[in-house]
Amino acid sequence: MLVDELREVVGVDGVLSAHADLVVYECDGFVIEKNSPDVVVFPRTALQVSEVVKLANKHRVPFVPRGAGTSLAGGCLPVGGGIMIVLTRMKAIEEINLRDRYAVVQPGVVNAWLNLALKGQGYHYAPDPSSQGACTIGGNVATNSGGPHTLKYGVTVNHVLGLEAVLPDGRIVQFGGPSDDPLGLDIVGTLVGSEGTLAIVTKVWVRLTRNPQGVRTLLCIYDSVDDATNTISEIIGAGIIPAALEMMDEGILVAVEHAFNMGFPLDAKAILLIEVDGLEVDLDRQRNRIIQICNQCQAREVRQAKDAEDRLRLWKCRKQAFGAVGRLSPSYCTQDGVVPRTKLPHIFRRIMEIGQRHGVRIVNVFHAGDGNLHPILLFDERDPNQIERALAAGGEILDECIACGGSVTGEHGIGVEKIAFMHKMFTTEDLAAMERLRLAFNPEGRLSPCKMLPSAGGCGMEHSGSSPSVIKQKFPGRQAAL
Amino acid sequence: MPPAADPLPLTDTLTPVDQAELAQTVREAFHEGTPIYPIGGGASLNFGLPPRDSGLGLSLQGLKRVIDYSARDMTVTVEAALSLDVLAATLANEKQRLPIDLPDAHRATIGGVIATNTSGARRYSQGTMRDYLIGVTAVDGRGTLFHGGGRVVKNVAGYDFCKLLTGSLGTLAVITQVTLRVKPMPECSRFVVCHPRSPETAERLLEALVTTQTAPAAIELLTGPAWSNNPVLGSVADRGSAHLLVGFEGSEVEVHWMADTLWNEWRKLGVAGEVIADHHIADLWRRLAQFPVEGNPPLVIKAAMLPSRTLQFVQMLMRIDPNCSVQAHAGNGVVVARLTEFGAGGLSKMLVSRLQPAAAEYGGHITVLSCSTPADLTRQCWWGTFGDTAPVMEQIKRQFDPKDLLNRGRFVYAGL
Repeated sequence: MLVDELREVVGVDGVLSAHADLVVYECDGFVIEKNSPDVVVFPRTALQVSEVVKLANKHRVPFVPRGAGTSLAGGCLPVGGGIMIVLTRMKAIEEINLRDRYAVVQPGVVNAWLNLALKGQGYHYAPDPSSQGACTIGGNVATNSGGPHTLKYGVTVNHVLGLEAVLPDGRIVQFGGPSDDPLGLDIVGTLVGSEGTLAIVTKVWVRLTRNPQGVRTLLCIYDSVDDATNTISEIIGAGIIPAALEMMDEGILVAVEHAFNMGFPLDAKAILLIEVDGLEVDLDRQRNRIIQICNQCQAREVRQAKDAEDRLRLWKCRKQAFGAVGRLSPSYCTQDGVVPRTKLPHIFRRIMEIGQRHGVRIVNVFHAGDGNLHPILLFDERDPNQIERALAAGGEILDECIACGGSVTGEHGIGVEKIAFMHKMFTTEDLAAMERLRLAFNPEGRLSPCKMLPSAGGCGMEHSGSSPSVIKQKFPGRQAAL
Repeated sequence: MPPAADPLPLTDTLTPVDQAELAQTVREAFHEGTPIYPIGGGASLNFGLPPRDSGLGLSLQGLKRVIDYSARDMTVTVEAALSLDVLAATLANEKQRLPIDLPDAHRATIGGVIATNTSGARRYSQGTMRDYLIGVTAVDGRGTLFHGGGRVVKNVAGYDFCKLLTGSLGTLAVITQVTLRVKPMPECSRFVVCHPRSPETAERLLEALVTTQTAPAAIELLTGPAWSNNPVLGSVADRGSAHLLVGFEGSEVEVHWMADTLWNEWRKLGVAGEVIADHHIADLWRRLAQFPVEGNPPLVIKAAMLPSRTLQFVQMLMRIDPNCSVQAHAGNGVVVARLTEFGAGGLSKMLVSRLQPAAAEYGGHITVLSCSTPADLTRQCWWGTFGDTAPVMEQIKRQFDPKDLLNRGRFVYAGL
């Protein structure tokens, strides 16, 4: 029996097989699609991961890795059931080397823990997705996570030096390591963002970034969205690269104000959270220039963080904005589209128009500096009609992002949620090339089937032994590609 | 300048005028089974094992247009054979740049430097080519045109072909068009230099740079005849000493503050620094970029390792060849060295038995950038050994170039 063999590898307390336990893992942050795995395992070493993968191959069942399950695109959805390999017990920070500016972490290390371990030592790990209090480094690697500071500091792949991974046939291979520059092909860069479809990461070498000497954080309040988006354009035009440049609209502002009592005026149409960091000697000049630009763009008010605590308060209202959405609506889904920065005014207008036309309320949080939008579509999931309208509106927004020369996903990944958009973003030849890359790693297709690529004719998988699970079609209008 | 002799065994060279024609050319070669050697500006044709099979030269010189440049979006889309100096001039008009040190700018092409993953001193602060390539179009070994990435800086849709193709030496696909993210040009630049008289002093200085209050753009440890007695850098007391050159970029206020501050930090360590005169700065950046391709030394190598082992590795090189010239990007642990002597046992033995194991022990690896007697080198000499990663790379190669036509025999694949 597969479950018994798995118990031999990871121990009895490393396996969940009872139905009530499995249901917990039926979805991740993308709650619209659900399917339970047949069994969940919690390995503690790369060798155990390798043994589990070999068992999956022996029994010809699919397997899917999972970190904290914060994916917003169904990246952890176990399509076809099978074995879910949860990496959260591989949670050690194995090494921190400040002289050589790297750390070695296991994939289950929560993003925020790494920065906690580095606190006070003059270094930090730069990629800071808003879910950093829960998401894992392994998950960050899978989706090439971003966050508000990517404008200046880049995304996860710019901070990963090496990976140890278990390949879909169970081999454990190290790619890269603590030194710069790949040898041969850049497999590390190829694996980052591959959404768990090419290999299961069991160790990560990350680059550490020197803390900036100083920081200035501004909150700018606007009476019109256009004024806010003009400000963004002018700041970039002035040759300033802020460390972060975030925008929130009236809708989300109201929720955040009620939740956190920041003292925001409830009639403001948009706010910008702008941060510059670097050498103290020049920060006041940069800040003043930004304030000048904000005023030129008719900002109603500009507030400055007085101290570190104040700065954290301002960031809290941004990073926990999604958490405040519960005040607005019982359910929501969010998009992750990207447009060129200069198209922000246009896409915002289109989002509002699309929302009105479909009768869906949409509130907005943008990583405005790099054109990455998070429109939050509000609905009540007890009403299938509302779900359908929300999904249709979301789809139209993504279509518009593509039309603007952007992308359907800036940081959340394709997962299952956006498989249907791959044909819109990429040609048949592009998708064939991606399929070839997947074949090079995952020829049997058992690792993370039906993710990211709309493989023609289904997953190309065969189930034997365990009975195949079927995606429950609880919700109309959406399904994972099968 | 590399030797003028043609390094490629070409029966013919074709110059397609656009991507469609290029794809068609490769398709025909695929049907015939004809090896293909992509040629950009011809600046790095001696990088990689010398090809043995004669084949078709595929010149990219018909593809050198600027397709789209959006300064406010800080992205630019160009065809692969656009030369680096034309690209730089285009960006400079908008006070922007691709902040990567690239030699032979009048000849080398953007597609070429992406294929070879060329980088230089500014990698310490600005990263390398893979950090700037956000979209790519390429033709695989079957003649199929495909895309990866896009035109926006945040994009995780699909697999990252930008990363896969960077540094792949044209062996998976021929790059035809790229989208790059660019950065504003800094207002000001300055260098501070000192001449540590002993390895212990040099090590102390390098360690101190890890915690400097400044934010260097580049940290360069320079030794050997190429740098000594350079009037700009100041002369070093004897052959064995080094220059430690730190570059800064930013606003005037920032750069002046940083140069002063580092000078004071060094003073506290008992080391006298000098600020290099303004009118030498642009030329010094150029010299740093050109070092790997200057002259025609018998051997140029590039090693990557833990930054803390840089000095030890440089000392080892100097023991083998007291006349070697070295440019170590010390903050990154990347060492470029020009060697004329190889010790008893010769070039190949030196690489395989001494340098490669040392680089591995120091957490990295070593590759050959150029060699004037390439027949002396095996694949293991050029690229080292790959162990477990080799089958993975070969599988990828088989998928993208099933007949092994693209730059056959030149890169890391041993088991095809």
